[in-house]
Amino acid sequence: MTVSAADRPVGVDIQESEQNRAVIEAIEADNADATVRHMPGMIRVQAPGRLVIKRESVEERMGREWETHEFQLAIISYFGHIKEWDDDEIVIAWDH
Amino acid sequence: MQFELRTQVIEPQRKTFQHLIDRYGDRPASRYEEGSIDIQATANYHYRPLWNPEMEIYSPDYSDLKLADAYSFTDPRQFYYAPYVTSRADMHEAFGSTLDYLEKRGMFDRLPASWSSVVQDIVLPLRHYEAAGQMIFSHAARFGWGTTITQCCAYAAFDRIGNAQILSRAGISFGGGTADSLDTAKTTWLEDADWQGLRKHTEELLVTRDWGRAIVALDVTDRLLYGLMYTHLDEAALLGGAGSYSLVAQHLSGWFTDQRRWMDALYKAWGADPEHGTANAAVVADVVESTLATASAALAPIAAKLDALVDCGAAQALSDAVEATRAAYTTLGMTKEA
Amino acid sequence: MTIAPKAPRKLSMKARYSALTRDLDWDPSYVPAEEMFPYTTFEGITIHDWSKWEDPFRLTVDAYAKYQAEKDKRLYAVLDGFAQSQGHLSLTDASYLNAMKLFLQGVSPLEYQAHRNFAYLARHLNGPGPRFASLCQSLDEIRHAQTEIHTLSNYNKYYSGFHSYLHMHDRVWYLSVPKSFFDDALSAGPFEFLIAIGFSFEYLLTNLLFVPFMSGASFNGDLPTMTFGFSAQSDESRHMTLGLEAIKFLLEQDEKNVPLVQHWINKWFWRGYRVTALVAQMLDYMLPRKVMSWKEAFELYFEQQMMNGLFQDLAYYGITPPLHVDKAIQEKEYLSHQAYWILYQFSHAAAFTTSIPTEEHMDWLTEQYPDTFPVYRTLWEKERKNLENGGRHFIRGLPQLCQVCQIPMGFTEADEPFVQCQRESIYEGERYNFCSDGCKYIFDHEPVKFRQAWLPVHQIYQGNCGAADLPGVLQWYKMQPGDGGEYLGNVDNENWKTWHDMAETTGGH
Repeated sequence: MTVSAADRPVGVDIQESEQNRAVIEAIEADNADATVRHMPGMIRVQAPGRLVIKRESVEERMGREWETHEFQLAIISYFGHIKEWDDDEIVIAWDH
Repeated sequence: MQFELRTQVIEPQRKTFQHLIDRYGDRPASRYEEGSIDIQATANYHYRPLWNPEMEIYSPDYSDLKLADAYSFTDPRQFYYAPYVTSRADMHEAFGSTLDYLEKRGMFDRLPASWSSVVQDIVLPLRHYEAAGQMIFSHAARFGWGTTITQCCAYAAFDRIGNAQILSRAGISFGGGTADSLDTAKTTWLEDADWQGLRKHTEELLVTRDWGRAIVALDVTDRLLYGLMYTHLDEAALLGGAGSYSLVAQHLSGWFTDQRRWMDALYKAWGADPEHGTANAAVVADVVESTLATASAALAPIAAKLDALVDCGAAQALSDAVEATRAAYTTLGMTKEA
Repeated sequence: MTIAPKAPRKLSMKARYSALTRDLDWDPSYVPAEEMFPYTTFEGITIHDWSKWEDPFRLTVDAYAKYQAEKDKRLYAVLDGFAQSQGHLSLTDASYLNAMKLFLQGVSPLEYQAHRNFAYLARHLNGPGPRFASLCQSLDEIRHAQTEIHTLSNYNKYYSGFHSYLHMHDRVWYLSVPKSFFDDALSAGPFEFLIAIGFSFEYLLTNLLFVPFMSGASFNGDLPTMTFGFSAQSDESRHMTLGLEAIKFLLEQDEKNVPLVQHWINKWFWRGYRVTALVAQMLDYMLPRKVMSWKEAFELYFEQQMMNGLFQDLAYYGITPPLHVDKAIQEKEYLSHQAYWILYQFSHAAAFTTSIPTEEHMDWLTEQYPDTFPVYRTLWEKERKNLENGGRHFIRGLPQLCQVCQIPMGFTEADEPFVQCQRESIYEGERYNFCSDGCKYIFDHEPVKFRQAWLPVHQIYQGNCGAADLPGVLQWYKMQPGDGGEYLGNVDNENWKTWHDMAETTGGH
């Protein structure tokens, strides 16, 4: 059965820690369809088709500057394809 | 279940791993030792490489330079990943601060015109030389024999691309926040007649299959090039009102001091080897002799260009560097006259 | 931590990255291109334009060093704190460490191998983009090897089985499974290595391999392993990206690459999957506190994410799911039971211990595997009777190994739980045996390579392992008393009880 790229889930696993709380909250706020699952020591955020992490949203919640490279301190794993990783946002989605 | 266990100290059964106990006795081992000594496999490889069925996956025979015991060499800096990367984070942060300082004060714009040409035509093209340095050391990190050596080579490879990026970041600043100066410098590296000797020499180093000979040849070239470009020229810049160049150059000469520490220790280990010492000295001498000839000839037109621009005694400095380099290898017993 | 605010940049992240990495490259004109890149033609892969390689991470040396230093600062603080407070005593049980013994003996040396071969790619790929990504990965991999060694070093001081992990990795029978896997990758060309390790291992199977270990650590009081694991996984996300870029790049460059890539996916899926048999039994049998079953992990990390996600994406290029994947899906119901049963019977010749599952443990297994475990439960109940009669079951003979994956031949036909699956091929008059269709497929494509395999059992018979008898071979392996065999009553088990009794009598709760 083929499911279109817009519907197949993509997701990211993030280490559960105080430092990463703002990141997780920002992802939840920016991705209306996202679901969050708690697993040992980590949190999985999943959404159909596309997931975005926005610098501005993280900074708002963190109260300081945050560059997207810093996401590497939080991420454990992901599924999907990293389509974009620039100064302002990180986008995970399937291509085809 | 929570026990209050801190009241009892439990005696360890052993202080470290067996291979370190066998080598150094039953004493606690450092993290450097645990992370470096004997890590590479030395036996029972399953398959011959498809890309070279004559050889094993790892072999001392990928170079003419050999150690009877690969671990007679250790890194005097005792770098395993964590201290290495921490030291480089500090290095790049310090360079970032220098660059901020230079940018905020518009220091590159205030360079005397002749020094501006030095940066554009003499310094920035060197980022390609550094990039080649990465590839040469990465080759050694794959084909070297023994983790203490290959680990140093792996970090040196990363250092070289780091140096290339330091020069590139300086170039972006120098180019007013654009990559224009880098583009111009690339054309110089590729097309300027004065640079073709160094480019040819660099390309030949890149295709040297023997990793040991390749890193020695690169090191000989580095001694001349770093002596000229980042030490001698640094002093000339201070005298010539080009303080901004001096501030950039100190990061590279500082790096080279660090690089010397392990390279010099490696020469000592090669020379002192009970089985291969004499043969190693002859191989190094051979590489030193031919590289000094090629590299000094390759650098001569660049030194001449420097003298034409800022009259800083570069030609003399280059020939001094050749003599100093030969003398350094003679002290090690690794030149033909030694 | 404070990460210094950055100064406003004029170049975008993408343009800056390009200036700092790929723009450093040039086409040589004084030496021939085939001498500059001697290894990228023999595999038959066609690349028209290396500049089409995309690296979304756009990490430069300064940012890499900054974030990696920060990760290691956090990690080593945890390791030091755990050692200082004798944290090992708050594990669920000393038997938990069997999982970590396997990890150090079997996996850490692979991280080191990856370090060396990504250095090969960092020199020998033609494109500056993938060279730089490989360079970063090469450094990450030595980080992983070393942080694993440093994490588990503390356990080595108090527990058996860790002390000679390097020596054992290159010699002991069950460790030739992971060793031959990685030797296979290192002896392949650079493109096959990219698909083998970069794609199949790092993208397809990495979560299945690592996340269970790390979650197991988290559930069993092993804070240092959980910390290094999650810290390593954060690098892994870069590696996954490299792997995915690699496959898309090869597929997009030329249609002729598609069948080659498909074959490598077939081969390396099965090769990697066979190595995960060790993970399967670890998850279902070695953890005192269970996290999830192998079956559940396989469904989550492989079937959902890869079969229903990734392979639908790759279908666009004409790539199909790996050959024999259906067999792996069938096997999820019994892989762990068969793998542990093999290890249980041979653990007297291993550097970890095994024990019969408790009733409670078997109830859990029955719950997880209602259709298949009851059959294996009868095996264990028979063994329980042996134990009551004072006879712990060990196999004294030497097993036949699969020529490709090197696991003792003990897997069965899918629908016949007691019929051993055995396949064979004849090559130049010699017969070779395989545990599965997947392994036979691999051999039949590369008989010249796979007949070279250093099979531990053959080597013993040929007299290359120190002695002809088991005690002599174990000595050659550098096994120490207490390393293997039955857990109950073994030195780790006895010490554990003593240490905890001590704690209770001196002011415990």
